[in-house]
Amino acid sequence: MAIDNAMPILIVDDYATMIRIIRNLLKQLGFLNVDDASDGTQALERIKEKKYSLIISDWNMEPMTGYELLKQVRAASDTARTPFIMVTAESKTENVIAAKKAGVNNYIVKPFNAQTLKGKIDAVFGE
Amino acid sequence: MGAAQTKQQTDNSSIDALITLSDKLKENKTKNMSLTDVIGVAELLTSSLQPLLRQIDSTIHTELRGILMRIEGLRHEIAKVRADDISENKIPEMGRELSAIVDATEGATNSIMEAAEAVMEYDGNDIEEYKNMVSDQMMHVFEACSFQDLTGQRVTKIVETVEIIEERINLLCEMLDMSGTGEEAPKEELNAKQQRKKDLLLNGPALDGEGVDQSAIDELF
Repeated sequence: MAIDNAMPILIVDDYATMIRIIRNLLKQLGFLNVDDASDGTQALERIKEKKYSLIISDWNMEPMTGYELLKQVRAASDTARTPFIMVTAESKTENVIAAKKAGVNNYIVKPFNAQTLKGKIDAVFGE
Repeated sequence: MGAAQTKQQTDNSSIDALITLSDKLKENKTKNMSLTDVIGVAELLTSSLQPLLRQIDSTIHTELRGILMRIEGLRHEIAKVRADDISENKIPEMGRELSAIVDATEGATNSIMEAAEAVMEYDGNDIEEYKNMVSDQMMHVFEACSFQDLTGQRVTKIVETVEIIEERINLLCEMLDMSGTGEEAPKEELNAKQQRKKDLLLNGPALDGEGVDQSAIDELF
Protein backbone atom coordinates (compact mmCIF):
# COMPACT_ATOMS: atom_id res chain seq x y z
CA MET A 1 0.00 0.00 0.00
CA ALA A 2 1.45 3.39 -1.00
CA ILE A 3 1.30 6.57 1.01
CA ASP A 4 -1.39 8.92 -0.18
CA ASN A 5 -1.64 12.38 1.38
CA ALA A 6 -5.43 12.20 1.09
CA MET A 7 -5.66 8.90 2.97
CA PRO A 8 -7.94 8.97 6.02
CA ILE A 9 -6.03 8.80 9.31
CA LEU A 10 -7.53 8.28 12.75
CA ILE A 11 -5.77 9.72 15.83
CA VAL A 12 -6.83 8.18 19.15
CA ASP A 13 -5.76 9.95 22.33
CA ASP A 14 -7.51 11.03 25.52
CA TYR A 15 -5.60 14.32 25.65
CA ALA A 16 -7.01 16.97 23.35
CA THR A 17 -3.63 18.69 23.39
CA MET A 18 -1.89 15.56 22.11
CA ILE A 19 -4.48 15.14 19.36
CA ARG A 20 -3.83 18.73 18.36
CA ILE A 21 -0.05 18.19 18.33
CA ILE A 22 -0.28 15.03 16.18
CA ARG A 23 -2.81 16.70 13.89
CA ASN A 24 -0.41 19.63 13.36
CA LEU A 25 2.53 17.30 12.76
CA LEU A 26 0.49 15.35 10.19
CA LYS A 27 -0.56 18.62 8.59
CA GLN A 28 3.11 19.59 8.33
CA LEU A 29 3.74 16.23 6.64
CA GLY A 30 0.91 16.93 4.19
CA PHE A 31 -1.82 14.73 5.68
CA LEU A 32 -5.06 16.68 5.98
CA ASN A 33 -7.73 13.96 6.08
CA VAL A 34 -7.53 13.37 9.81
CA ASP A 35 -10.19 12.39 12.35
CA ASP A 36 -9.81 11.83 16.05
CA ALA A 37 -11.26 9.83 18.96
CA SER A 38 -10.72 10.19 22.69
CA ASP A 39 -10.41 6.46 23.53
CA GLY A 40 -10.67 2.96 22.09
CA THR A 41 -14.45 2.77 22.36
CA GLN A 42 -14.96 5.99 20.42
CA ALA A 43 -12.32 4.87 17.91
CA LEU A 44 -14.24 1.65 17.21
CA GLU A 45 -17.36 3.74 16.49
CA ARG A 46 -15.36 5.88 14.03
CA ILE A 47 -13.91 2.74 12.40
CA LYS A 48 -17.42 1.32 11.90
CA GLU A 49 -18.43 4.51 10.07
CA LYS A 50 -15.31 5.01 7.95
CA LYS A 51 -12.46 2.94 6.58
CA TYR A 52 -9.14 4.36 7.74
CA SER A 53 -5.79 3.81 6.05
CA LEU A 54 -3.84 4.43 9.25
CA ILE A 55 -4.62 4.43 12.96
CA ILE A 56 -2.30 6.33 15.32
CA SER A 57 -3.22 5.52 18.90
CA ASP A 58 -2.13 6.27 22.43
CA TRP A 59 -1.94 3.30 24.82
CA ASN A 60 -3.00 4.71 28.17
CA MET A 61 -6.69 5.64 27.88
CA GLU A 62 -9.93 4.84 29.64
CA PRO A 63 -12.36 3.16 29.31
CA MET A 64 -10.70 1.29 26.42
CA THR A 65 -6.92 1.39 26.10
CA GLY A 66 -4.98 1.55 22.84
CA TYR A 67 -3.77 -2.01 23.46
CA GLU A 68 -7.36 -3.26 23.73
CA LEU A 69 -8.28 -1.25 20.64
CA LEU A 70 -5.37 -2.81 18.73
CA LYS A 71 -6.56 -6.32 19.63
CA GLN A 72 -10.12 -5.52 18.55
CA VAL A 73 -8.94 -3.97 15.30
CA ARG A 74 -6.83 -7.03 14.54
CA ALA A 75 -9.70 -9.38 15.45
CA ALA A 76 -12.10 -7.81 12.92
CA SER A 77 -11.63 -9.11 9.37
CA ASP A 78 -12.07 -5.73 7.63
CA THR A 79 -9.46 -3.97 9.82
CA ALA A 80 -7.12 -6.89 10.51
CA ARG A 81 -4.51 -5.41 8.15
CA THR A 82 -5.08 -1.70 8.82
CA PRO A 83 -1.73 -0.07 9.65
CA PHE A 84 -1.62 0.73 13.36
CA ILE A 85 1.03 2.88 15.05
CA MET A 86 1.14 3.09 18.84
CA VAL A 87 2.24 6.53 20.07
CA THR A 88 2.71 6.36 23.81
CA ALA A 89 4.65 7.15 26.94
CA GLU A 90 4.58 3.43 27.82
CA SER A 91 8.20 2.65 26.99
CA LYS A 92 8.89 -0.57 28.88
CA THR A 93 10.19 -3.40 26.73
CA GLU A 94 7.38 -5.68 27.92
CA ASN A 95 4.82 -3.16 26.61
CA VAL A 96 6.50 -2.94 23.21
CA ILE A 97 6.70 -6.73 22.94
CA ALA A 98 3.05 -7.10 24.01
CA ALA A 99 1.97 -4.54 21.40
CA LYS A 100 4.06 -6.25 18.71
CA LYS A 101 2.54 -9.62 19.57
CA ALA A 102 -0.92 -8.05 19.33
CA GLY A 103 -0.08 -6.89 15.81
CA VAL A 104 1.09 -3.27 16.03
CA ASN A 105 3.00 -2.09 12.95
CA ASN A 106 5.19 0.43 14.71
CA TYR A 107 5.70 2.10 18.05
CA ILE A 108 6.64 5.70 18.90
CA VAL A 109 7.63 6.88 22.36
CA LYS A 110 6.42 10.32 23.43
CA PRO A 111 7.71 12.98 23.09
CA PHE A 112 8.54 12.78 19.40
CA ASN A 113 8.94 15.07 16.41
CA ALA A 114 7.58 15.26 12.87
CA GLN A 115 10.61 13.43 11.47
CA THR A 116 10.10 10.44 13.79
CA LEU A 117 6.43 10.29 12.86
CA LYS A 118 7.26 10.53 9.15
CA GLY A 119 9.88 7.80 9.52
CA LYS A 120 7.38 5.44 11.13
CA ILE A 121 4.63 6.16 8.59
CA ASP A 122 7.15 5.53 5.78
CA ALA A 123 8.25 2.28 7.45
CA VAL A 124 4.67 1.06 7.92
CA PHE A 125 3.88 1.71 4.25
CA GLY A 126 7.19 0.20 3.14
CA GLU A 127 8.65 3.38 1.73
CA MET B 1 7.81 -18.20 120.82
CA GLY B 2 7.62 -15.65 117.97
CA ALA B 3 4.56 -15.09 115.80
CA ALA B 4 6.45 -16.31 112.73
CA GLN B 5 7.41 -19.55 114.45
CA THR B 6 3.79 -20.09 115.57
CA LYS B 7 2.56 -19.48 112.02
CA GLN B 8 5.15 -21.92 110.64
CA GLN B 9 3.96 -24.61 113.09
CA THR B 10 0.32 -23.99 112.18
CA ASP B 11 1.17 -24.21 108.47
CA ASN B 12 3.09 -27.48 109.03
CA SER B 13 0.22 -29.07 110.98
CA SER B 14 -2.22 -27.91 108.32
CA ILE B 15 -0.09 -29.46 105.62
CA ASP B 16 0.16 -32.71 107.63
CA ALA B 17 -3.64 -32.80 108.05
CA LEU B 18 -4.07 -32.06 104.37
CA ILE B 19 -1.70 -34.89 103.41
CA THR B 20 -3.57 -37.30 105.71
CA LEU B 21 -6.90 -36.36 104.20
CA SER B 22 -5.46 -36.51 100.71
CA ASP B 23 -4.13 -40.03 101.35
CA LYS B 24 -7.55 -41.12 102.63
CA LEU B 25 -9.19 -39.74 99.51
CA LYS B 26 -6.66 -41.47 97.26
CA GLU B 27 -7.27 -44.77 99.03
CA ASN B 28 -11.00 -44.15 98.88
CA LYS B 29 -11.24 -44.39 102.71
CA THR B 30 -14.04 -41.91 102.88
CA LYS B 31 -16.27 -43.85 105.30
CA ASN B 32 -14.74 -42.29 108.42
CA MET B 33 -14.60 -38.81 106.87
CA SER B 34 -16.99 -36.33 108.36
CA LEU B 35 -18.42 -33.18 106.81
CA THR B 36 -16.13 -31.28 109.14
CA ASP B 37 -13.16 -33.02 107.54
CA VAL B 38 -14.32 -32.09 104.05
CA ILE B 39 -14.92 -28.45 105.08
CA GLY B 40 -11.51 -28.53 106.71
CA VAL B 41 -9.92 -29.67 103.44
CA ALA B 42 -11.75 -26.95 101.58
CA GLU B 43 -10.63 -24.32 104.09
CA LEU B 44 -7.07 -25.56 103.94
CA LEU B 45 -7.04 -25.50 100.15
CA THR B 46 -8.50 -22.01 100.07
CA SER B 47 -6.07 -20.65 102.62
CA SER B 48 -3.10 -22.31 100.93
CA LEU B 49 -4.10 -20.84 97.53
CA GLN B 50 -4.56 -17.33 98.87
CA PRO B 51 -0.87 -16.26 98.73
CA LEU B 52 -0.71 -17.57 95.15
CA LEU B 53 -3.91 -15.76 94.16
CA ARG B 54 -2.63 -12.58 95.81
CA GLN B 55 0.59 -12.89 93.81
CA ILE B 56 -1.25 -13.54 90.52
CA ASP B 57 -3.57 -10.63 91.23
CA SER B 58 -0.63 -8.34 91.84
CA THR B 59 1.19 -9.50 88.66
CA ILE B 60 -1.91 -9.04 86.50
CA HIS B 61 -2.48 -5.64 88.03
CA THR B 62 1.09 -4.59 87.27
CA GLU B 63 0.85 -5.92 83.70
CA LEU B 64 -2.49 -4.22 83.07
CA ARG B 65 -1.18 -0.98 84.49
CA GLY B 66 1.84 -1.23 82.14
CA ILE B 67 -0.44 -1.85 79.13
CA LEU B 68 -2.64 1.05 80.13
CA MET B 69 0.35 3.37 80.41
CA ARG B 70 1.63 2.18 77.00
CA ILE B 71 -1.80 2.83 75.42
CA GLU B 72 -1.91 6.27 77.01
CA GLY B 73 1.57 6.96 75.63
CA LEU B 74 0.57 5.76 72.16
CA ARG B 75 -2.57 7.88 72.22
CA HIS B 76 -0.45 10.88 73.07
CA GLU B 77 2.08 10.08 70.32
CA ILE B 78 -0.58 9.26 67.71
CA ALA B 79 -2.17 12.63 68.41
CA LYS B 80 1.13 14.16 67.28
CA VAL B 81 0.73 12.45 63.87
CA ARG B 82 -2.48 14.46 63.34
CA ALA B 83 -3.97 11.95 60.92
CA ASP B 84 -7.13 14.05 60.58
CA ASP B 85 -5.02 16.98 59.39
CA ILE B 86 -3.43 14.73 56.73
CA SER B 87 -6.75 13.34 55.44
CA GLU B 88 -8.82 16.51 55.78
CA ASN B 89 -6.28 19.17 54.78
CA LYS B 90 -2.94 18.00 53.43
CA ILE B 91 -4.05 15.39 50.87
CA PRO B 92 -7.01 17.42 49.48
CA GLU B 93 -4.69 20.43 49.27
CA MET B 94 -2.20 18.39 47.24
CA GLY B 95 -5.03 17.25 44.95
CA ARG B 96 -6.06 20.87 44.35
CA GLU B 97 -2.46 21.90 43.65
CA LEU B 98 -1.99 19.03 41.19
CA SER B 99 -5.24 19.89 39.38
CA ALA B 100 -4.10 23.50 39.16
CA ILE B 101 -0.80 22.32 37.63
CA VAL B 102 -2.62 20.23 35.03
CA ASP B 103 -4.89 23.20 34.17
CA ALA B 104 -1.95 25.62 33.98
CA THR B 105 0.15 23.38 31.72
CA GLU B 106 -2.85 22.64 29.50
CA GLY B 107 -3.70 26.35 29.23
CA ALA B 108 -0.09 27.26 28.44
CA THR B 109 0.23 24.49 25.84
CA ASN B 110 -2.94 25.63 24.12
CA SER B 111 -1.74 29.26 24.05
CA ILE B 112 1.63 28.25 22.61
CA MET B 113 0.02 26.00 20.01
CA GLU B 114 -2.44 28.73 19.01
CA ALA B 115 0.49 31.07 18.45
CA ALA B 116 2.38 28.45 16.44
CA GLU B 117 -0.69 27.63 14.37
CA ALA B 118 -1.30 31.32 13.64
CA VAL B 119 2.29 31.73 12.39
CA MET B 120 2.12 28.57 10.28
CA GLU B 121 -1.24 29.47 8.78
CA TYR B 122 -0.21 32.96 7.56
CA ASP B 123 -0.68 33.03 3.84
CA GLY B 124 -0.20 36.74 3.05
CA ASN B 125 2.61 38.34 1.06
CA ASP B 126 3.24 41.43 3.20
CA ILE B 127 6.59 40.97 4.98
CA GLU B 128 5.93 43.85 7.42
CA GLU B 129 2.54 42.44 8.36
CA TYR B 130 4.08 38.98 8.76
CA LYS B 131 6.83 40.35 11.04
CA ASN B 132 4.31 42.16 13.25
CA MET B 133 2.09 39.08 13.42
CA VAL B 134 5.03 36.82 14.37
CA SER B 135 6.18 39.37 16.97
CA ASP B 136 2.66 39.49 18.51
CA GLN B 137 2.39 35.72 18.58
CA MET B 138 5.83 35.37 20.19
CA MET B 139 4.71 37.73 22.96
CA HIS B 140 1.79 35.35 23.59
CA VAL B 141 4.30 32.49 23.78
CA PHE B 142 6.38 34.39 26.37
CA GLU B 143 3.25 35.13 28.41
CA ALA B 144 2.22 31.49 28.29
CA CYS B 145 5.67 30.36 29.48
CA SER B 146 5.07 32.12 32.81
CA PHE B 147 3.19 28.94 33.77
CA GLN B 148 6.55 27.38 34.62
CA ASP B 149 7.08 29.80 37.53
CA LEU B 150 3.57 29.19 38.92
CA THR B 151 3.66 25.42 38.53
CA GLY B 152 7.17 25.38 40.06
CA GLN B 153 5.80 27.09 43.17
CA ARG B 154 2.90 24.66 43.33
CA VAL B 155 5.23 21.68 42.98
CA THR B 156 7.37 23.06 45.82
CA LYS B 157 4.26 23.25 48.05
CA ILE B 158 3.39 19.63 47.17
CA VAL B 159 6.92 18.45 47.94
CA GLU B 160 6.75 20.20 51.34
CA THR B 161 3.41 18.53 52.11
CA VAL B 162 4.74 15.11 51.09
CA GLU B 163 7.71 15.66 53.42
CA ILE B 164 5.37 16.48 56.32
CA ILE B 165 3.35 13.31 55.66
CA GLU B 166 6.54 11.24 55.38
CA GLU B 167 7.78 12.66 58.69
CA ARG B 168 4.52 11.77 60.45
CA ILE B 169 4.40 8.26 59.01
CA ASN B 170 7.98 7.69 60.16
CA LEU B 171 6.99 8.90 63.64
CA LEU B 172 4.07 6.47 63.67
CA CYS B 173 6.32 3.59 62.56
CA GLU B 174 8.82 4.42 65.29
CA MET B 175 6.23 4.53 68.07
CA LEU B 176 4.69 1.26 66.92
CA ASP B 177 8.13 -0.33 66.53
CA MET B 178 7.28 -1.11 62.94
CA SER B 179 10.59 -0.18 61.34
CA GLY B 180 13.09 -2.90 60.59
CA THR B 181 11.06 -5.74 62.05
CA GLY B 182 12.02 -7.91 59.09
CA GLU B 183 8.43 -9.02 58.82
CA GLU B 184 7.21 -9.56 55.31
CA ALA B 185 4.52 -7.06 54.38
CA PRO B 186 1.15 -8.64 53.67
CA LYS B 187 0.47 -9.05 49.97
CA GLU B 188 -1.40 -6.05 48.69
CA GLU B 189 -4.90 -6.81 47.46
CA LEU B 190 -5.64 -5.02 44.21
CA ASN B 191 -9.02 -3.49 43.52
CA ALA B 192 -10.60 -3.90 40.09
CA LYS B 193 -9.09 -0.67 38.74
CA GLN B 194 -5.58 -1.55 39.96
CA GLN B 195 -5.88 -5.09 38.60
CA ARG B 196 -6.95 -3.73 35.22
CA LYS B 197 -3.96 -1.38 35.15
CA LYS B 198 -1.66 -4.27 36.01
CA ASP B 199 -3.20 -6.59 33.40
CA LEU B 200 -3.04 -3.96 30.67
CA LEU B 201 0.55 -3.00 31.53
CA LEU B 202 -0.35 0.62 32.21
CA ASN B 203 2.83 1.98 33.74
CA GLY B 204 2.73 5.54 32.45
CA PRO B 205 5.76 7.56 31.40
CA ALA B 206 9.10 6.14 32.49
CA LEU B 207 11.60 8.25 34.43
CA ASP B 208 15.00 9.11 32.97
CA GLY B 209 17.10 5.96 32.86
CA GLU B 210 14.04 3.71 32.99
CA GLY B 211 12.19 2.22 30.05
CA VAL B 212 13.70 1.99 26.58
CA ASP B 213 14.45 4.72 24.07
CA GLN B 214 13.14 4.98 20.53
CA SER B 215 16.23 3.44 18.93
CA ALA B 216 15.93 0.33 21.13
CA ILE B 217 12.26 0.03 20.21
CA ASP B 218 13.08 0.43 16.51
CA GLU B 219 15.32 -2.63 16.74
CA LEU B 220 12.28 -4.71 17.72
CA PHE B 221 10.50 -3.82 14.45
